[in-house]
Order: sequence, then structure tokens, then C-alpha cells
Amino acid sequence: MNAIEIRGLSKNFGSKQALKGLNMTVPMGAIYGFIGENGSGKSTTEKLICGLLVPSGGSIQLFGKDYTDENVRAKVGVLIEAPGCFPNYIVWNNLMLQAANLSIPNPEEEVSKVLKMVRMEGAASNRYKNCSLGMKQRIGIAMALLGHPALLVLDEPINGLDADGMRIMREILVDITKNNQCTVLISSHILGELEKIATHYGIVRGGKMIREMTAQELDVDCRTYVSLRTREMNRAKALLGCKYSRVEEDEGGSIRVYDAASPEEIVTSLYENGILVSEIQTDKIGLEEYYIDLMQEKEGR
Amino acid sequence: MEVKFETNSFAKRLKSMLRVDFRRMFTMPLLYILVGVCLAMPILILVMTTMMDGAVTVDPQTGVETVVEGFRNTWEAIGTLSTESAGMSMIGMCNINLLYFLAAVLVCIFVADDFRSGYAKNLFTVRARKGDYVISKTIVCFAGSVLMLLAFFAGTMVGGAIAGLPFDTGAAGVRGIVMCLLSKLCLAAVFVPIYLLWSVVGKQKLWLSLVGSFCVGMLFFMMIPMLTPLNSGIRNVMLCVAGGALFSVGLGAVSNTVLKKTSLV
Repeated sequence: MNAIEIRGLSKNFGSKQALKGLNMTVPMGAIYGFIGENGSGKSTTEKLICGLLVPSGGSIQLFGKDYTDENVRAKVGVLIEAPGCFPNYIVWNNLMLQAANLSIPNPEEEVSKVLKMVRMEGAASNRYKNCSLGMKQRIGIAMALLGHPALLVLDEPINGLDADGMRIMREILVDITKNNQCTVLISSHILGELEKIATHYGIVRGGKMIREMTAQELDVDCRTYVSLRTREMNRAKALLGCKYSRVEEDEGGSIRVYDAASPEEIVTSLYENGILVSEIQTDKIGLEEYYIDLMQEKEGR
Repeated sequence: MEVKFETNSFAKRLKSMLRVDFRRMFTMPLLYILVGVCLAMPILILVMTTMMDGAVTVDPQTGVETVVEGFRNTWEAIGTLSTESAGMSMIGMCNINLLYFLAAVLVCIFVADDFRSGYAKNLFTVRARKGDYVISKTIVCFAGSVLMLLAFFAGTMVGGAIAGLPFDTGAAGVRGIVMCLLSKLCLAAVFVPIYLLWSVVGKQKLWLSLVGSFCVGMLFFMMIPMLTPLNSGIRNVMLCVAGGALFSVGLGAVSNTVLKKTSLV
């Protein structure tokens, strides 16, 4: 059974078609990184999953049941855009309201627990409106974690967090998936952070899912390259360009040779042409580069 | 890996939602501001109209003289006898009936706050049943409106005493006045669902909720003195209870449909 199964989901806002038959499968226990450009339909999909928008077509199933099933919905935690808190209430009272909505039997204990999880115990008596952006994000996560959710839907949760906040967020998400058997659907533009925790990925473009894969599949798909430096960069680049299909100069000024058989082969080839290599290493492209490559490929560049 | 789903009964769901809504309503400064206004309003109305009573104003263009008529009795601020005219005179307008418009402010701001703060987003993600929300909001807003009406009643007593107006129950009698007040309290159940419907239609757009509520409220405004005269009987109370129940159920169902069929963010 999958935590989320979406088939042919479409959503129109007037004449604008935000989602065009999107399909999505999120296995249980996964941390699903949901990636896409601005306006590609990520937030719309998440709002539809949470029942905040009405779909124009298609089906959404959560844990094998229709997404409108009230028992299933009670097991969904959400942080979309900003946490839904009353600005004049203190953090504690905001969380207590949500605990009451979830009919949690021992709300004080549960609220203390989630505040501790997000390292916000000290801010419980702060008015929500006086909290910083990072604190608000953590409060939103705490609110989403109330009631032991089986599915967490997080829209850009690491926006506005400092390096420590991002680390804490990573730890929380990994912890709840391992110990609480929670499934996490997370969208973010900070792909470097996402890469550290995601077990599955879904890449959406123009309201359609263009690729779904596991972290292992991404690892296989991510091409290795040889990065090198010489004193004669232009001549080396031209020479390697004749021999290999893709040779580029990266932002750091190094030459990248993709799909090369081995670094030795490159060094030998350059040496035979009188070019000495001063620095060479083998590396793999990350999620960010993979995503950019995929987008460029789709644009036909 | 298996996920266990718990089933909550309607009573449990409603109880928890009512607890949240009552807590919110009674910790909201707006409620106390409005109750304060309701308390002060009759005092000002009764004292000022008594001061102006008998004053003659002359229209400079037509030369027509108008004598300002004040309240003859404290109870006139609560309602007029069914035999008297309840038209567009000052005493016919400046009375407890104005509160039904103030109730619109309370309901619209209370509901719009849910949507503007994002609380509705959290709520509707974990609570699939929109009907619970509508029922809870209707009950809580009704309670808030009743509190405002009672504050106006208390203010009328104080205002009448300050202005030196008689407390003579006259033809209405104590029973009639009690029934009149009860009818007015029950009549709040007619207006609250109207305002709630406009609030869920407007959602974050408070201006839309308020304009809609005032417009529809105006249509029903003239019916208030007829339904709840000062010499009301049990029939008036029953009529208001029936109207309140009918409007709450009927418009509640419409509000529920609006929430189900429209976007909540």
C-alpha cells in the first residue's frame, strides 16, 4: 500500500490549467522530495492532497482510501506556505488549539513533546507575531507533528531557516520516518538539503510529473565526470572536446569531462599533446545539476 | 508497516470543535469591545434623546417645524407595542434591533480570522467534515450575539435610570417584556446563519462578508419589530425559535456545501 497515490489529477483556476493529469506514487515510510520550478504545480498538488482545493479531475488516495475520508485526514500533518497560527496568541495556545482540533487526549504532554522535538521549548510563551521567520517555521513543523501523523505534507519548510535550523529539520524528518513510521512529502528549492534526506523524488513540470525515482535510481542516473585543471585550459578544452561528447568549463574554472572512461585516459591523452595536468579528480553530479540538466533536456536545449 | 486510523464520533468531534471555538470567541478582544459598545449604546441613546425631547427644528428651506420626540418609556429601547408604528422614526430605529447589524461584524471578523491566519488550513486538513465547522460556528456566534443583546438590555436599564425615564411596563406587562427579550434572543439564530453563510463565501475577504451580511440583514431588518413587539407572547417566541431553527439548518447546509465545493485557501 502506498501512502499517496495520485492518478490523472487536474486542477483548473479559471482558464489556467495548473495540473494536467498528474500521476504520483509515494510509498509508505518514504521522504519524498517534490521538485519543480515556480508555478509548476507543487503547492497546488499539496493543497489538493490536504483537501484545501477541489480537484477538477482525477483521483487522490491516501493509504488506500479516498483523500476525503475523515479518519485518514486526521492522520495528516501539514505545513503549507506559513503555519496557521493566530498572531496574538502565544505559541503554546496556538498549539493547544490544534491539539484540541485533533482531540488529543493529553494535549499538554503532546504539545510539550513536539515543542521539544523542534527545540522550541523556550519560546512557548512568546506571542506568535513576535517570533522570527525561522521560529515560525519550526512552530509550523511542531503543529504538523501533533497527533502522530502518518503523513506529513511540507511546502518549503526549510525556507528562512539558518544552518542549524536546517540540520534540526533534517534530524526531525529522518527521526519521524524511522521511529514513527511517518511518510513525508516535502517540496523545496534547496535541493542540496533535500538530497541529504530524500529517499524518493518526483520532478514536476508544467503541471505534469516528468520523472519519479528512488534515491538509488538517481544515484545511478547521476553521471560521473572528471574535473581537471591545466595551465593551458583553452587548448585542453578544445582537444578533449574532439574526443569526448560533453566537455564543459564549470563555475570554478575547471574543465569537466563527462562519460570519460577513466582519468588516466584523459591524462595520457593530454600528455601526448604536450599538456600537463596540474589537478584531476572524479566526481558525480548532484541533484541540483541533474535537475537543471533534465529541465534543459525538456526545453530541448 | 501499518497505519491505524481512529474513528471519532460526531459528539466527540463537535465537543472538541466547540471547545476551541468558545475559547477563541471568549478570548477575542473584539467580543468585549462589541459587548462594551452594546452596553454604552443604549445609555447614550436614552440620555441624548431625553435631552433632545421636545426640541423644535426648522427646515431653513421649507420652514417646516419638526418636534424631536424622545423615548416616553425605558422599555421603548427594547421594542415597541404591536399597535404602535415601528416605522422610520428615531425611536423606531435607535433601539436594540441595531444590534443585529453589530452581530454581523462579530460573525464576519470571527470567521474571516480563521481564513486570514491560516488556521482554517490546519483545521480542514485534519477535519474533513465541514458540517462540524458550520454547526460549531453557528452555536458559538449565536452565544456571542446573545451576550451582546443581554449587554444592551443591561445598558437600557442603566440608561433609563440615568435619563430618568419611567420603567412602567404599561400594556406590555412584565411577561410581555420578558417574552419580547426572549424572542429577540431567539431571533439571533435567524441572523447568525445568514452572516455565517456570507462569511464562508467571503473567507479571507472580510469586506465581501460584511457587505453581503449588511445587505441581506437589511432585508430582514423591518421584520424584527413585527416579530418581536414589546407585548410579545409565547407565540412570538415559538415563531422566532422555529425561524432560527429553519435558518440554521437551511443556511447551514448551504454554508456546508459552499465549504465543500470551493477552495479553502
